[in-house]
Amino acid sequence: MALDVPLMVFVAGLAVATYTMTSLRSKEGEEGTRAMLDSGLAFSVVGLMSSGWTYAIHNSILDSGETTMCASEGLVQCGSVIGDPRWNNLYGIPWGVTGLLSFSLLFFLFLSLRMDMHAKWAESFTTYSFLAGLAGLPFVAFLVFVELTQVDGAPHICPFCTVAHLSLIGFLTAAHALRGRKQSGMWA
Amino acid sequence: MARRRRVAAPKGRDNDVRPMAALATFGVTSIILMAVMLLAPVVKVGPSEGELAPDFSAQAYSGGQWEDLRLSDLFNKSWAPGGDGNWILVQYIDTDCPYCWSEGELMSQLHSQWNQEVTFVTVVVELGIPGHGSSRGEVEAFRDKTPYDGCKTDSNCADRPGDPHSWTYIDDLNSRTSGDWELPGTPFAALLQPDGIVAWNPQQPGNHPDGEEMGGALQRLVGGS
Repeated sequence: MALDVPLMVFVAGLAVATYTMTSLRSKEGEEGTRAMLDSGLAFSVVGLMSSGWTYAIHNSILDSGETTMCASEGLVQCGSVIGDPRWNNLYGIPWGVTGLLSFSLLFFLFLSLRMDMHAKWAESFTTYSFLAGLAGLPFVAFLVFVELTQVDGAPHICPFCTVAHLSLIGFLTAAHALRGRKQSGMWA
Repeated sequence: MARRRRVAAPKGRDNDVRPMAALATFGVTSIILMAVMLLAPVVKVGPSEGELAPDFSAQAYSGGQWEDLRLSDLFNKSWAPGGDGNWILVQYIDTDCPYCWSEGELMSQLHSQWNQEVTFVTVVVELGIPGHGSSRGEVEAFRDKTPYDGCKTDSNCADRPGDPHSWTYIDDLNSRTSGDWELPGTPFAALLQPDGIVAWNPQQPGNHPDGEEMGGALQRLVGGS
């Protein structure tokens, strides 16, 4: 597979977010909490960007019947996944748009916490972040199932979709860790 | 004796930061959306004239085995007005609907006149009306005009007006595509340009010459037959 610059950028974003989370996770106090928030924010930004990219691929396939933004042949490709009219939308809404809206919500929750870690609503926002991330998991499971078994010529793996899925899982891990910090008094 | 002072927990900011966070989120999302629009503008999909026809992938019958067919595989995306390429007539029917039964003859006539320039596709749905149960066997018999009791509720499919149809019939008995196509009822037909853009939808009579029907639309838009 040819070197795909956008994919490399997204993977680098995931790597930075993961490193931030793992290296500072055990730090006590504000420093550790801030690192978790930064990590979650990075995951949500990568999720936003990869969702936007899949939406652009969706539009490109609709417009010209093909796309230069991702491979359309082989096991690892987007054409058969994002281009399959039976599976590329949720009640008519492209999955890329669903991803954009969902990651916007996650970004907002973590950005609010990052801007004021000691606000009265910090505990509830930590819980909302965790629950919102958790709510996305069944969709990720469903989409992976679709990629592997349902789309034309399955199995296929759409790399940009996978980046979005990993972003959600990374965000959820950060949200879970934050919730633990809040409950155990390690928050600040 | 000096009293020990309790260390106060850190307090939040005086002002609520959430509106600012919401604004920042809106900004980030907007930037990403604008980038998407620059990379690949949104394509309007729908059954209205000027929109890209909603795509579907379903089992199709052309006289032999049922096979997968994807509507967009019929599109010629590089088509330009006046250029080569087959137009596509998408007709929706219910094999039990009396109007669809009657329209069988008109479709035979139109097909014999336009089959060189237009690809005909008939999508069979099952309207949620008592007595309108259908099956692939009934779809095959309706298309082929072969003996089968059950077309038009209780008629024999061999008696359908018109000739046997030689074009592709699609099984959408679960009505998976009817929502995207905003199906007003059956029969319904839309004419697509070779690139998949809807050129004629009978639900938009204001865009057409007075009283124009399917034959007139074919003559006006495809012409030259």
